[in-house]
Amino acid sequence: MENEVKIDQETPVREVKVENLSMRQLLELDACTRCGECSNWCPAYEQDKREPINPRGRAYDFRRLIRRQYGLLRPDGFLGKLFGKKPITEAEIKRIAADLYECSTCRQCHFVCPVSIDTVELWEAIRRSFVEAGYGPLDSQKDLVTSVKSYDNPWRQPRSSRARWTRVAKKKKRIKEEPKDLGKNKAEVIYFVGCTGSYDVNVEEVAINTVNILEHSQTDFGILGNKEKCCGSVLLRMGDRESFETIAQENIKQFNELGIKTLVTSCSGCFKTIKEDYAKVGGMNFDIKHTAEYLVELIKSGKLELKHEVKMKVTYHDPCHLGRHSGVYDAPRELLRSIPGIEFVEMERSREFSRCCGAGGGLKAGYPDIQNKISQQRISDAIATGATELVSACPFCYQGLQVGIQAMNAPITMRDITELVYRSLTGKTEQERPAAEGEAEAE
Amino acid sequence: MKHYLYFEATALLYILTFVTFIFFFAGVFVTISLWRRGKAKSLYHSVSTPAIIKAFIVNVVLQLQIIKFSFIRWVMHFCIFIGFMGLLALTAWEAFLADILPASSALVRLFFNNGGRLILDVWGEVFGTMLLAGLIIALLRRYVFRVAQLDTILKDTVSIVLLLIISVSGFIAEAFRLMAIPGSPDLIYSFVGLLFAKVFAAAGIPMLNYKLFVWLHGLAAMLFIALIPFSKMWHAFASPIEIILDASEKQGKHEEEVAAAHYSVSRS
Repeated sequence: MENEVKIDQETPVREVKVENLSMRQLLELDACTRCGECSNWCPAYEQDKREPINPRGRAYDFRRLIRRQYGLLRPDGFLGKLFGKKPITEAEIKRIAADLYECSTCRQCHFVCPVSIDTVELWEAIRRSFVEAGYGPLDSQKDLVTSVKSYDNPWRQPRSSRARWTRVAKKKKRIKEEPKDLGKNKAEVIYFVGCTGSYDVNVEEVAINTVNILEHSQTDFGILGNKEKCCGSVLLRMGDRESFETIAQENIKQFNELGIKTLVTSCSGCFKTIKEDYAKVGGMNFDIKHTAEYLVELIKSGKLELKHEVKMKVTYHDPCHLGRHSGVYDAPRELLRSIPGIEFVEMERSREFSRCCGAGGGLKAGYPDIQNKISQQRISDAIATGATELVSACPFCYQGLQVGIQAMNAPITMRDITELVYRSLTGKTEQERPAAEGEAEAE
Repeated sequence: MKHYLYFEATALLYILTFVTFIFFFAGVFVTISLWRRGKAKSLYHSVSTPAIIKAFIVNVVLQLQIIKFSFIRWVMHFCIFIGFMGLLALTAWEAFLADILPASSALVRLFFNNGGRLILDVWGEVFGTMLLAGLIIALLRRYVFRVAQLDTILKDTVSIVLLLIISVSGFIAEAFRLMAIPGSPDLIYSFVGLLFAKVFAAAGIPMLNYKLFVWLHGLAAMLFIALIPFSKMWHAFASPIEIILDASEKQGKHEEEVAAAHYSVSRS
C-alpha cells in the first residue's frame, strides 16, 4: 500500500479546523443516517472493502474527530476527564486522512444518499482542513499540486511547451492551421484545451479532432496557447482551496478580458471546474460549454453535417464531472445518435448511476492499484454490452479507462466522442487525413 | 377517568421530564454551537420555497426516495419515523390537555372523560404498531439477516433497543390496563393492547401492576429524548434540514441557469 500510515503515538497532534466547512456541511455529518446505501455504490469501496473509506465511514470518522476536538467529551474538558476520554492520536488522524483521499470524488454517493448529502463538496472541504493542518494531500499526490503551482499544469511540463501540440500537428498536417492565438487576436469562442489534452501525446487527438471540427464548422475560435493555465481542478480536489482560488481568479480575469461569447472545453474536469467551481469564486461574462453540448448546437444550427456512416457498435461512459457533477447526460448521447451508422448501446449503469473510471479526485495518483481495478470494472461493464468501442467525453477518463483496457487486454477500443464526430464529418479518421489530403493535393 | 385506570402524572414524573428536557436542550445547544463553527458559505443559490415544500412532503414525510432502492427499507423507515412522530404528537397533545388547559375546558372533558379518549386509544395503537413493525424489520435486517450494507455500532443498537423498550412496554402496560377492566365495551379501541392481553391470559401470565410498565415506558422515553442530540436519532432533525436545503439549492441553481441561458440567447 502506497500510503501506509506509520504509527507514532508521541508526535503532537495538530488541530484539524472546522472553520473551512460550512454550517450546512457540519450539519450533513449529523444528517448521515448510516443506512449504508453509499457502500453499495462507492467504486473505491467496491475494490477495497474497508468501512472507513466508504462515505458513511468517512463522515463518521470526521465527526468523531471534531467531537473529540470540540465536543462535550473532549479529552481536555471536564466531562472528558471525568469519563477518561483519550485524545486522538497522530496515527489516527493520518489514517483518517489516508482514507479520505481514497476517493475519486465521483459523486455517486450523493445520488444514492436518501438524505442527499452534498458529499463531494463535503470531502473537499474536509480535505482543505487536512491540508491546512499539514495532513494532506498524500505524499504520492503532492507532486500534482506542486507541479500546478510551479508549472501551471499537473504533469511537470514547461509552460512554453503547452501549445507545442499545435505546431507538431500542423507540421504533420493533422490540422490545417494552428488555431488563432487569443493573446493576439479576438474570437467569439475560446477552445480551452486543458492540461491533459495539451501535454499527453496519447490523448492529443482529442484536441486535434476538436480543432478540426471547429474549423470545419467555420467557428470563429482560438486558443490561449502557452498562456493557458491549468483550471486548478487538481488543487481543489486535493484540498488546496487557497491556491485554487488564486488560479481561478487569474483565469477568470484572463477569460473575461478576451471578449469571448463562449468557452468550449473537451475536458469534463475543466468543464466542471470552470462552470461550477469558478462560479463560486467570481463572475464570468461568457457561456461555458462542453464540446459535446457545443457540437450538438452546431449540428442543430446546420453548421455541422454528419453525413458519413461510421459503422461501429459503441457504448458511452459518462464522465463523472460532466454527468453527475454538471448534469450533462443528453448532449453526448444526442451527438452519438446523430452519427449515421452508429449502433449505440447503454451500459447497465449509466447516466447518474454510471460507474466511475477511478481517475479523478487524486485517486489515480494516490492509489493507482485501486484506480486500475475500478477502471477494469468499468471496462467489464462496457464489454458486457457487446460494444466494440468505448466512447467518452473526457481526456482524463480516456487515460483512466485505457489503463483498464491495457490491463485486461480487453477486446474494446477507447475513443473520444470527437473522434467519431470527425469521422462522420469527413469520412476518414484524423490519422488518415494527412495522407488523404496529400493525395488530393498531388492530384 | 379513574374508571379506565389511565395513568396520572406525579410530581416525580414532572421533575424527571424537566431534567430530560434540560439534557435535550443542552445537547441541542452544544450540537448547534459546533455547527456554528463552520464559517464557509452554506447556500449559493436563491431559496426556493416550492422546492422546499415538495421535498418536505415527498422526501421527508413520505420518504419516497428510499423506495427506489428497497421497498422493505422504505416500509421499515417510514413505520419507525411516522410511528415515532405520531406517538410524540400523542404525548404532546396529552400533556397539553393535562397540563396547559384547565380541567374544566371542553377539550379536556372531551378527550379525558368522553368519546375523545377513544381517539387517543386508537391514535396510540396505530402509531405504536407502526413503530413496533418498523423496529421488528430493523432488528431482523441488522441482527438476523445481517444485511451487508449495514455496519452496526453501539449507537445503532442503543437507539433500536430504547425504541423497542418504549414500544413494547407501552403495549404491555396497555394490556395490563385492559386486563383490569374486563368486559368494557371500549376495549376494542386498544386493539393491539387487547391482543397482548389475550396472549398474556392464554399464557397464564398474571396481571401485574400496569403502572410499573408505564414507568418503564416513561423512563425509557425520557432517556431516549435526553439522548437524541447525542445519539443516532439526531438525524431525525438534521436529515430533513439537509433534504430541504439540497432541494432548494438544486432548484435555485436550475432557475439561475435558465435565466442565464435566456440572457445568453437575447445577448446573441
